Amino acid sequence: MKNRMHKTILILMFCMAPFGIAMAASRQQQLGQVIHKKSSLYNSIFVYKDGSIVSLKFGKRATLNLQSQVDLNDPRRHMLEYTTMTFCGLFYKPQPQRMLVLGLGGGVIPREMHHHFPQLQIDVAEIDPDIPPVAARFLGFHEDEKLKVHVDDGRMFIKKQLRCNPVPKYDMIILDAFNGDYIPFHLMTKEFLQEVKGVLADDGVVIANVFYTNRLFDAEFKTFLSVFGRSQAFFGAVSGNAMLVSPGPACPILTEQEAVEHAQQLQQKHNLSFDLIEVAQMLRPDVHPDRRAKVLTDDVAPVNWLREQETKKFSSDIP
Amino acid sequence: MKNSDSITYKPSPKAAWANGRKLLAVGIILIACVCGWFMMELEILGVRVLVPYFGSAVYVVTGSVIGVFLLSLSVGYMLGGWLSGKINAWSALGAAMMTTGAWLCAIPFFAEPVCDMIFNIGLDEKWGSLLASLVLFGAPTVLLGTVSPTVMHWLTTQASDSGFNAGLVLATSTIASFAGCVVTAFYLVLCSLRMTLCTSGVVLAVLGAMVLLSAAMQAKKNPRGDSNGKQQ
Repeated sequence: MKNRMHKTILILMFCMAPFGIAMAASRQQQLGQVIHKKSSLYNSIFVYKDGSIVSLKFGKRATLNLQSQVDLNDPRRHMLEYTTMTFCGLFYKPQPQRMLVLGLGGGVIPREMHHHFPQLQIDVAEIDPDIPPVAARFLGFHEDEKLKVHVDDGRMFIKKQLRCNPVPKYDMIILDAFNGDYIPFHLMTKEFLQEVKGVLADDGVVIANVFYTNRLFDAEFKTFLSVFGRSQAFFGAVSGNAMLVSPGPACPILTEQEAVEHAQQLQQKHNLSFDLIEVAQMLRPDVHPDRRAKVLTDDVAPVNWLREQETKKFSSDIP
Repeated sequence: MKNSDSITYKPSPKAAWANGRKLLAVGIILIACVCGWFMMELEILGVRVLVPYFGSAVYVVTGSVIGVFLLSLSVGYMLGGWLSGKINAWSALGAAMMTTGAWLCAIPFFAEPVCDMIFNIGLDEKWGSLLASLVLFGAPTVLLGTVSPTVMHWLTTQASDSGFNAGLVLATSTIASFAGCVVTAFYLVLCSLRMTLCTSGVVLAVLGAMVLLSAAMQAKKNPRGDSNGKQQ
C-alpha cells in the first residue's frame, strides 16, 4: 500500500514537471515575443513586444538588465524607475537650456525631457550606429532640430566639443553609457570627468546613472568628489539604480527639504507625467563613499571587477 | 665551441658539448617564450593606452591595435630572418630585448603627448588611432618579431631539422602569448597601467642585458667561434 502511494506521488511529480518547466519558461518570456534582433558592432540587440509594451535588451540572458521599456499606448509612462530618477537634475537647474546625454538606449530620457522642455537643445552621443534606427522604429524615439543624436564614443564627442571655439556649455549632462554587462572604463575616470567639467556650465549639473549595490559605486562616488568637490546620491526605491549628482561651482547642493520643495514647484509648472516628489525623496544626503574606495583614473580603473563585488542590498529589500 | 661536422652531427662523441647545447637550446626557446608573452601583453595594454584618447570604438581595438601588431610582426619576422644569417644570434636577441624593454618603460611618458598631438592635428578615431598605435607600439613589436626567426636559425644545425624547430618555436612562443594574454586581461587589468608597462619593460631589459653579457663573454672566450654552432 505504502509502495503504491510512493509510486503515485512519483507519477504525479513526473506529470507536474512539464508545468514547472513551462512556468519557469514563462517567467523568462514575460517580455513577450522577440520582434527584432540584430548583431551590431557593439551589442546583440533584442526587441521584445508584449501587447503594447516594447522592451530593449542587449543579449538574451534573463539576468541581463533591460536597457529600455516603452508602453506604446501611453508614451508618457515611465516603465523603469531610473528614467524618472534622471529628472533629479532639475532640482539643481530648473530651467536648462542645453543638455547632453551619453548613451541613447531606447531614448526615453531625451524623448521625455524634450516633451516637457520643448525649448531645450539636446545632444545625444551613442557609440552604436544600429541603436538610433531601432529606437526610432520600435520605441517611438524621433530626432528633430532640438534633439540630435551623434554616433560617436561619449568621450570622443566631448573631446571634439572641447576643441570647438567657443566651447559649448551644457546645463545638464546625463551619463548613461551602460551596456547590460560591460562598463567602458574610459567613461568613469577622473580624466574623463575633468573633460566633462570642461563642457559643463558653471551652474550646470552632471547626473550619472550607476548601481549602488556594488563596490564600483563607492569608487565612482569618490571619483566624482575628487573632480567636482561636491556630489549627492539618489537611491532608487524599487531598483538598484542610483543617480550621482555633481553640481558645477555656481550651483548649490540640496537638503531633502529643498529637493522636495523644488519638486513640488516643477511638478505643478510642467505637469509631469510621473511623481517627481517621489524622486526628490530618494535623495540620501547621509550616503558617503567607503573610505577605502580608490579614485578611478585612466591608469587604474578595474571597473568591471569592482562591479562584481556586491556590497549592499536594494533598499526595498531592507526591512 | 668548434663544430666542424655539424651537418652530420651525432651526439655521442661530444656528450658534454651536446648537453651544454641542449641547455642553451632550452634557454633560447625560453627567450622566445618571454618575448611571446610580452608581445601579447603589450597588445592588450595597447588598447588600454589608446582608449582614453580615441574612445572605445571598434576601429581602435580591432583595426588600429591588432592591425599595427600584425603589420609590425611581419616586418619583424622579415628583418629577423634576414639578420639571422648575418649577426650573432645571442647578441641580436639581447639587443632586441633591451631596446624593447626601454621602449615599454618610455610608453607611459610619451603616450599622452603623442596621442594629444595626433588628435589635435585633426585625425579621427580611425586614422588617428592607427597612427598613434604605429608610433607607440610599432617599433617594439618589430623588435619582438625578430626573435622567432633568430631563434629558429640558431636551433637549426641541419636542414632536415628546420621544420621541426620552426614548429617548436612557434608553438612554445604562442603558448606563452596565450598565457600573457590571459594573465594581462584577467589580472593585470586590476593594476596600474603605467606600473605594469614599466615593470614589464624592466624585466625585459634586464633579461636582455643578461643575454647580451653572456654573448659578449662567449665572444671573448672564443673570438673566432660562431655561437650559432654552424660553419659560416
